[in-house]
Amino acid sequence: MTSPTDATAHVAPATHQARERRHATRGARATRARIAATVGAFGALAFLTCLLAPLVGSTHISLVRAFDRSIPFADNVDAQIFFVARLPRVLAGALVGAGLASAGVVFQALLRNPLADPFTLGVSGGASVGAMLAITFGLSMAVGPVSPVPLATLAGAGAAALLVYRLATAAGRAMSTSVLLLAGVTLNAFFSAVIMLLQYVSSFTEVYRAMRWLMGDLDIGGFAPVIAVLPLMAIAFVLFALLPSALNQLSVGSDAAASRGVDVARVQRLAFVSASLATSGSVSLAGPIGFVGIVVPHLVRLIVGVDHRVVLPASALFGAAFLVGCDLVARTLFSPVEIPLGIVTAMIGGPFFLWLLVRRG
Amino acid sequence: MASLYGSAHLQAPSPAPARAPQRIVSLVPALTETLFAIGAGPQVVGVSSYDQFPPEVKKLPQVGALLDPDTERILALRPDLVITYGSQLNAEAQFARAGIRTYSYRHGGIATVLESLRDLAMLTGHRADGERIARDLQARFDAVRARVRGRRRLRTMVVFEHDPGTLRSMFVSGGIGFLHDMLDIAGGEDVFGDVKRESVQPSMETLISRAPEVIVEIRGNLPSNIDAERRAWLALTTVPAVKNGRVHFLAGEYLVVPGPRVAQGVEAFARTLHPDAYR
Amino acid sequence: MPLSAQHVSYSYTSRRGTASFALRDVSLAIERGTLTGLLGPNGCGKTTLLRLLAGILRPHAGTVTLDGRALSDLSRRAVARRIAVVPQETHPAFDYTAIEMVLMGRHPHLGVFELEGPRDFDIAHEAMVSTGTDHLGDRAYMTLSGGEKQRVIIASALAQQPAVLLLDEPTASLDLGYQVEIASLLRQLNRERSVTMVMATHDLNLAASICDTLVLMRDGRIQSYGATSDVLDSDAVRRLYGVDADVRFHDDAGHLVVVPVGPAPSAVEGRTR
Repeated sequence: MTSPTDATAHVAPATHQARERRHATRGARATRARIAATVGAFGALAFLTCLLAPLVGSTHISLVRAFDRSIPFADNVDAQIFFVARLPRVLAGALVGAGLASAGVVFQALLRNPLADPFTLGVSGGASVGAMLAITFGLSMAVGPVSPVPLATLAGAGAAALLVYRLATAAGRAMSTSVLLLAGVTLNAFFSAVIMLLQYVSSFTEVYRAMRWLMGDLDIGGFAPVIAVLPLMAIAFVLFALLPSALNQLSVGSDAAASRGVDVARVQRLAFVSASLATSGSVSLAGPIGFVGIVVPHLVRLIVGVDHRVVLPASALFGAAFLVGCDLVARTLFSPVEIPLGIVTAMIGGPFFLWLLVRRG
Repeated sequence: MASLYGSAHLQAPSPAPARAPQRIVSLVPALTETLFAIGAGPQVVGVSSYDQFPPEVKKLPQVGALLDPDTERILALRPDLVITYGSQLNAEAQFARAGIRTYSYRHGGIATVLESLRDLAMLTGHRADGERIARDLQARFDAVRARVRGRRRLRTMVVFEHDPGTLRSMFVSGGIGFLHDMLDIAGGEDVFGDVKRESVQPSMETLISRAPEVIVEIRGNLPSNIDAERRAWLALTTVPAVKNGRVHFLAGEYLVVPGPRVAQGVEAFARTLHPDAYR
Repeated sequence: MPLSAQHVSYSYTSRRGTASFALRDVSLAIERGTLTGLLGPNGCGKTTLLRLLAGILRPHAGTVTLDGRALSDLSRRAVARRIAVVPQETHPAFDYTAIEMVLMGRHPHLGVFELEGPRDFDIAHEAMVSTGTDHLGDRAYMTLSGGEKQRVIIASALAQQPAVLLLDEPTASLDLGYQVEIASLLRQLNRERSVTMVMATHDLNLAASICDTLVLMRDGRIQSYGATSDVLDSDAVRRLYGVDADVRFHDDAGHLVVVPVGPAPSAVEGRTR
């Protein structure tokens, strides 16, 4: 038989526990809801941007005419402007923006440094050397739908990534971030010297082409270049999906991550490979476009916090919207003259970082 | 009489010498050609690394070009006149200090080509020859104008560079410069004539909307895979030039060097644009 | 025995290929509910031993066993569900909040794509309460004081629900006030919540104040091993550090204290023992 005092003695802790329980459930649901809402919002932004961007351009076109099936495509100017000039450009912009932004997030976690970007480890330097070689020596071999310059760019990026990887790993052991950084910085310096040398021995127009390539360009004029890099980018994004939780752990420290069951060496390999693939594909499609890989992750972290499970997908989506937006500005601001895309991203990135610095100081 | 202080720049650190320069070094291929054309060939002792015409230049020592003029080599040749690019201010200062005269060149249209020709003719003591050559060129231009007169001026685009196999990184001639002038004489209307620059980089959208009727691709050498280049243009089927099969490939050094051979270039353009005028 | 090491050796190979032994033939057994201190001068191998016990390093000879099973037979996650580590310093690269730091301790219990559920939040909250940090939940970790930071890290280790908690120099980088704070927290967790702990430290008085068992190490070997009161004396200090010290029970503090009084009369003799 229970006495009244027994009953009272049990009520208080039970209510306290119940309250704690509700608090915990609310916390858990809040996390799920937050992630879903945030990613959803950025997804909507990316979708809307990609939907509206092809509608705007330096030439006025009639959408009705563009989608008029009765006019043969070969004769339909509005359709060609929409489907050949603008749409591939917007899709390429979304792909490259997402790729570079995600690669930025991953490299920042790998190097444990928010100031890292996709080009810190020399991948874009190698890509640039590949592109310069193709331009200077007039390489004209193509592989299927992939033309010489993107092909050479990919080869250069791959070689650089491989080199950095070998320098930074000793069989099975975890990567040393300081060796990674040093290898990357050294390679970048070396590649810059090679690029200058190649420009020195090139003719006028070759130098123009090379310099123009370095400023970034999304005007691909067809879907073939996008399709060519799609397999690489797809692999990269699949690998990205496996990383966020492990990246959180890695950001706190290698030993801490290891003591929580993370296979540090494997995660580092995965992070390096996926981010290098995304960077290589992006640079081979559009040239080395700077600032996307560092501005977007920073901006996203200011909005959503630092949990990689939100930051990575949000950065990919915001990166897509961001680059498509920048390209829109690049091709319409002083129309019909186009500003190289790299200049627009730099014009936004530079002041953004100044503002960050001032804010922090 | 063209002004000596207009678009061409003459620098004379000492009062005008009594006799014409006998040891000329030229860093500018177009002006080297000009020197040989007006009969000053024997006075040339050094040429640039990119010189190809006339064949005599291949026997002469090469002394660098725009980015890498080898001032030591040049000085070793003991020149009394060095022809430089307008932007090579350091080199010019060095030569001035050594007491060597320089003549500096600037890019321009056909008018500039003729001006430089007359300038050099006077400088090198071949004034009469220079005048004759200039008049010959002018006559050839007039002949072409006559041939194509009355024919509708075709909307044309002159492309001088792009990535092989694709249309990316395209450079076309703008409303200024010798390519534009050549096109103008040959009876073509430059679709980018409103852009007051020597070179323009059009986007795909701009290409489609400007819709040139004729596209002329000019190169120093013929591309290795012309079929791939033709196929690249097929992406833009609404462009009249593509639709009507009027994408032409012209190759030859004379097309890309703004020297005395521009007349040849003008004729090539005219034949390409208005073949019926040459039947 | 929850955690034990049998004849464990570990060597570091330098770039030139020369091997130097960090640990030679070390054996010990951690009893449930104890607070064991690994004590010794820098380079004695205590940190290496701790990392071997945590499974972060694999021994080159011997085995580390947990509940009778060799660590090498268990998956990383399985090990992490039983053993948690509190590192000496934690410098996250990004601005995580305290609650985010604590929730990261739940990682070994979650699937690859699994998000934290109510139970995980429960456990995290509980861990923060037991370390007195539950009011710091939404604060940025980097803005906390030294003592608060270390308590949050201890909470994140507790959130792993480990059988054993390993700590590497838990108070080394803290001010005296925070040192006392952490020391008493550890003792409280050990005494009141029966958390088994192993702590590597060079702080003799910290070890004397809270450890019930001591492992004295030097040059990669165990010098002596047993209850604190049995093991910690002037001889031991002289042998370990070549220092003359007075080791006595302090009534007010309630535990042994070590007070150095000068270098050992024959320092050479002390080192060759």
